[in-house]
Amino acid sequence: MKKIGIFDSGVDTPEEIILAAGFVSCRLFGDPTIEPDKANEHIPPTHCVWTRNLLEQAIKGLDKDIVGIIATHGCDRTNREFDIWLKCINLDFMFFLNSPFKRNKIALKFFIDDMKELISQLEDSFSVKVSSEKIKVAIKLMNKIRSLLMEISEFRSKMVLKGAEFHALVKEVQQIDKNEAIKLLEAKLEELKTKKTTVNKKYKKILLTGSDLDDTEFIEYIENLGFQIVIDDLGIGTKYFWNKVDENKEPIEALAEYHLKKPIHSTKFPSYERYDVIKNLAESYKVDGIINVAHKFCEPVLYDHPYLSKKFKELDIPYLFIETEYNRESYKQLATRFEAFGEIIKRRD
Amino acid sequence: MSKEKKSGIMLNATNKLKNEMGRHFLAIEQAYRDGKPTAWATAGTPVELLYAMDVQAMMPENSATISAALKQSKKFIEIAEDQGYSYDLCSYFKTNVGAVSSKAEMSVGGTRKPTFMLSSDVICDTHVRWFQVQAERLNVPHFTLDIPHVVSNTSNRQREYFKKYIKEQLWELLDFITEVTGHEYNEEKAREVASNSYELGKIWQDVFELRKNVPSPISTRDTFGGLFPLFTMPGLKSPIKLYKRMYKEAKLRVDAGVGALENEEFRLMWEGIPFWYNLKFFSNLERWNAMIVYEPYVYAFSKYTNPNITKDDVLNHPVESMAELVLSFWYIYDLETRVKKFKETIKEWKIDGVLLHNNMSCRPNSCGQYDLKRILMEELDIPSLIITSDMNDPRKLNETQVVNQIESFIEILRQRKKK
Repeated sequence: MKKIGIFDSGVDTPEEIILAAGFVSCRLFGDPTIEPDKANEHIPPTHCVWTRNLLEQAIKGLDKDIVGIIATHGCDRTNREFDIWLKCINLDFMFFLNSPFKRNKIALKFFIDDMKELISQLEDSFSVKVSSEKIKVAIKLMNKIRSLLMEISEFRSKMVLKGAEFHALVKEVQQIDKNEAIKLLEAKLEELKTKKTTVNKKYKKILLTGSDLDDTEFIEYIENLGFQIVIDDLGIGTKYFWNKVDENKEPIEALAEYHLKKPIHSTKFPSYERYDVIKNLAESYKVDGIINVAHKFCEPVLYDHPYLSKKFKELDIPYLFIETEYNRESYKQLATRFEAFGEIIKRRD
Repeated sequence: MSKEKKSGIMLNATNKLKNEMGRHFLAIEQAYRDGKPTAWATAGTPVELLYAMDVQAMMPENSATISAALKQSKKFIEIAEDQGYSYDLCSYFKTNVGAVSSKAEMSVGGTRKPTFMLSSDVICDTHVRWFQVQAERLNVPHFTLDIPHVVSNTSNRQREYFKKYIKEQLWELLDFITEVTGHEYNEEKAREVASNSYELGKIWQDVFELRKNVPSPISTRDTFGGLFPLFTMPGLKSPIKLYKRMYKEAKLRVDAGVGALENEEFRLMWEGIPFWYNLKFFSNLERWNAMIVYEPYVYAFSKYTNPNITKDDVLNHPVESMAELVLSFWYIYDLETRVKKFKETIKEWKIDGVLLHNNMSCRPNSCGQYDLKRILMEELDIPSLIITSDMNDPRKLNETQVVNQIESFIEILRQRKKK
């Protein structure tokens, strides 16, 4: 089945529209084992490590089933680099979706207009009809996925499911056929229901936030240092499934509303509202600490960090901020900082 | 290679710029004394609407450049970094954070607490994040304009609903200002401001037209500083007089065949924001008989560059016309339009080479420069040099390395002229 690739530094792309057009929605992820040599011929090395990595893969050749790309406005990187994607890759369908920065009624109307334009261009490019009925069916499908992920997510705090394993699952769901995703998730849920606690209960319970961390090995690396990610504030995590799309509303409006009402991403305004999102999660899941990881040059996360740091200090919740390169060699250099953070938490017990 | 020092001549009119900027700062002081509302605004926002609503505008970016020119920016940037702001974040932002935190005077780049703040993401997301930080710290209301991003394949149909979105937000902004200040929108006043802004922008464009002449009558000695009234006072009468003087004097030079540089040999284009802490870098180009005759960044703020927006549009629809203008701002052109405009400019201004500032503090502008460089060489046979540095953070300029790069670049241009 043909796929539409998604280049999105948040999770604001309405996958339902892609599904209704008859494609598999496939979010693009980085590969920390490669160097962005080709991408560095287009983008300075002092720019976001993650988006350069995606461009590198695009130049070298994406999955052969990908017939088009939707780039969705997250941070500044997406719109500026989209023009470079247009020059570097040869696909029939390339659309830049202006997911609004703001979240009010005017922004909602605009987002609806932009989604309608996306539909119109998909219909013209691929001679398909993206009807309201098809979008409604896709909404139901995606809501089912959201429900299943929500249920599975809870096994992290029950110390049954490792955060890294959950991360890998969410990542896979964002790339595969969504009917297959449901089968995968249902099987996983059944397995978890019969599984006993396997995670070391001495592990410190962590809320993980920051850039859209997509290397599961990194999550595994953190957990192996004595932590359990029980909850997160990530695109490959809760932001993908926390809310549901209203199935009773006009479908495009319902999709736009869903994206503007879900827990705010660092790329949107006012990003300081993330504090409330993170605080509520941290309190609900009784975490021992918060880890905020910024990819090198990830401006949205870098701007929010001092504010979050101050606020969590006021709340007396241990908070660790890490700035990291996007390659596995660099993870090792972070061990001391994670271990020291573990010690800080331990001393509070 | 000749290294004999050749000093370029600044316009006499440019000397009056200090008075104009002084007037701006006095107006700010007066506003505080009179209890008049004030607002911080980021570059690219419709500052005219602030003046139309009788709100005194303050531009923290402008203040940050003052800190840099007075060699104070490094100190302020380091204060912000001590507060947790990364080495990699915008140096204007950090200069402002440091200056405000240390309660610096306006004369060295400090900016007083405003009644409210106005930002937009038209140029960068940083503008919005910057004011989010400062609005929270200073506890003032903050309005932000969300400007959709035009990319190389944006259609006219898309531009129409982009404009609609911006227009609605501009009216929302006016309501916000009324709510915060009590000042009502006055169409007559808005027209008067729009008319002044239009005139100011157009004279600036006329000044740039004169630079097409060989030798060019003015240099960056006039333009980098000369930019500030466009930035801080669009819509006011007084800077128009200054620009008219600049034009008149430059025109006399053109008529007399006199250039700002005695022996103009190499005509350069400068893309990006200059190093405000090291403006002598630009005058030092003169030692190689080289001069910058076009800066898109400086030209961009003349604003009225979109041929679809006429003077009548501006005067009759002062709010609505802004929606079209913010979408067609030189500094944020999509790559395809940027390349097209560079090609036209290179031809019309008879450019020999392009200097591109890979500004570590302005990633949106730096993005696309590598492709631009390649295209200019392949399609126009125009050499470009990318200089990696920063607009306000002197720690990020390796002057020796950059001077060596420039020397080699000029040598390339010299060899090409000989052919």
